[in-house]
Amino acid sequence: MITAGLDLGTQTVKAVILKDGEVVSRGKAFSGFDPTEAAKQAINAALKEAKLSLSDISHLTATGSGIEMAPNANSTISMMGADAHAGVFLFPKARTIIDVGAEEARAVKCDDKGVMMDFVVNERCAAGAGTFIEAMARALEVKLEDMGPLSLKAEHASPINASCVIFGESDVVTLIHRQESKPEIARAIFDAMADRVSSMVHRLGVNPDVVLVGGVAKDVGFVASLKRKLSIDLLIPEYPEYAGALGAALVAARRVKKV
Amino acid sequence: MSEKRMKSQSKEKKYVPEISKKEINELRNSVKTASEKIIAENIERMKKTAENRPKEMEYFDDIANFFGTREKELSEAKESGKKVIGYMCLFAPTELILAADAIPIRVNSGWYDTAKLGDRVVPVEVCPVVRSTIGAKMIGLSPYLELSDALISVLTCDGMTKLGEILSDYKHVWAMTIPRVKDSDQSLRFWNDEIKSMKSQIEDLTGNKINRKKLKSAIELTQKATKAFRRLQEIRKGAPVIMGRDAMLVNQTYMWDDITRWTEKTEALCDELEEMARKKLWACPPDTPRVMITGTPMLWPDNWKLPTLIEEGTPQGVLVADELCSSERLLYDPVGVDEWSMNDMFKAIGERYLMASTCPCFTSKDGNEDRINWLLNKIKEWNIQGVIYYVVRGCMLYAMEYTRVKKVLDDINVPVYYLDTEYTREDVGQMKTRVEAFLEMLTARIDL
Repeated sequence: MITAGLDLGTQTVKAVILKDGEVVSRGKAFSGFDPTEAAKQAINAALKEAKLSLSDISHLTATGSGIEMAPNANSTISMMGADAHAGVFLFPKARTIIDVGAEEARAVKCDDKGVMMDFVVNERCAAGAGTFIEAMARALEVKLEDMGPLSLKAEHASPINASCVIFGESDVVTLIHRQESKPEIARAIFDAMADRVSSMVHRLGVNPDVVLVGGVAKDVGFVASLKRKLSIDLLIPEYPEYAGALGAALVAARRVKKV
Repeated sequence: MSEKRMKSQSKEKKYVPEISKKEINELRNSVKTASEKIIAENIERMKKTAENRPKEMEYFDDIANFFGTREKELSEAKESGKKVIGYMCLFAPTELILAADAIPIRVNSGWYDTAKLGDRVVPVEVCPVVRSTIGAKMIGLSPYLELSDALISVLTCDGMTKLGEILSDYKHVWAMTIPRVKDSDQSLRFWNDEIKSMKSQIEDLTGNKINRKKLKSAIELTQKATKAFRRLQEIRKGAPVIMGRDAMLVNQTYMWDDITRWTEKTEALCDELEEMARKKLWACPPDTPRVMITGTPMLWPDNWKLPTLIEEGTPQGVLVADELCSSERLLYDPVGVDEWSMNDMFKAIGERYLMASTCPCFTSKDGNEDRINWLLNKIKEWNIQGVIYYVVRGCMLYAMEYTRVKKVLDDINVPVYYLDTEYTREDVGQMKTRVEAFLEMLTARIDL
């Protein structure tokens, strides 16, 4: 049985194709101005890799903020629901899944079957999410992918405020004027984000094992800061940005069986 | 200070900046036009959602129009010499207003667009209910606020306290201090004194004496209304014969409708609903997840987005109960009188408003335990499967009680979701994602 999951994120669309409970391929495209077109590109890339065609898919489930623009979707699942399914599939002992994407951070509690039991989302502000790192990288004149490794070189922590991207940026400027080094500032940025995410997770309650997914999970700087703030180990899958799409594909498989 | 300066100062508004008549007119016309459209649209959507909508709802649909029947009636009543007394919080003793042959009307605003105007007076961090009410007054939008001869401002939360002060730029405002610790004898004594002094002020304004006979019939009037009100909420315990938005609208129209007529119409609606239940004519599938809302007051017409998202969601939910001072808390508790002496009636009114309230402006020996008990009782009796804890930005008291409520509900394994929003239409997309995820979770839990 072949199913697919499509995650229409704010920045990228991800597709995952599942065959008999195994991931066979993945595809990705920038959301841009036409998320529907991006979704087609993502699913086509995944189909090509798996040497399949759209008609081979028995059920496609969509998720993500652009859920309503998903082409060819048979059903939908919330982002939190998809995270829960993916988390438990990847790590059977997972009971809390933290997802940090481009514009949103969220945490989900689930049971052993991957059914969501509770969730929390960051307050209408991107300061706890990936966009914040991008904006701050610009302020530091550092490439986005260099931010994490740079922050690991920091020798101490300088607190900044990440209640908002704009105010966060002015705090960074203050650090620049204080002639703090770039590694220190980079670390301050990740610490501030991790602060926001960890207080959100604490409001929900931390049930081990804890899994971190979403594009930002690939950033070593953020991961180090979050581990420090939560004082726990985080399980991170190989393709964290595909967790939403994977969860959707798993739900699709369940729905095929139900029918 | 020169006499001339003093004179000009007394005319000057303390808070609200001057706006030209032209701007006021333009703004009022545009917001009013938009509002009429929204009122009609909300009602249309409510009609569409309910599979079997009771015919008696038609009356409430009509009375829900701020610029229609009720505005006309009130203007006519005023021309015939009646006084209208507006109030912001539901602690205002409406029985005294009725006993003085005046008309009580609640005037808090649910208009999103006027909140932006309120930003000219207070910072955006302030509660949008307050900012919107200020904005509505600035452009003379609300017929009920405009027609009020005086306003009763009960000093509950910080926002309401200063709102009264700001509105005194335009209106007679009578402040009533409410004690924060409600379960003590001295609090009750103090509050009873406040009510007594309110009596004199109402008598002075209206020129009507509040005597025993008049007060008794006023209390009997609200007792009857309470009975009808409770009957409606009782019906909602069963499989849904009425959608939550429809019930919420019925509850809320009590704030501005003629109370006698409202009571008759609500009783008639309940008759119809009971008949529908016998015929198993449900408003939505009986297995629809049953949701309760608690938190900041949610006011018609604009701030209807959360109940709309719940009841039009995929999956769908049905609102069967709430703990909102704009809906179920309005009239839930009757004035209980033992002996119909003036003294006893005053005492009963005082107790009904103070002791029965679950408003988070109170604390007591065990914190705001009454609110917790209300929620637990509702969850049990109304078979609630999930609670949405709704807070607007700037609403400190509700925001601060969340942790406690969450803990209690976690203990009984009832999911609760904290949803914060603003007086704006722009965040509906984000809210939808969250509300639908919550409903999906409830459905998944039910399926387990």
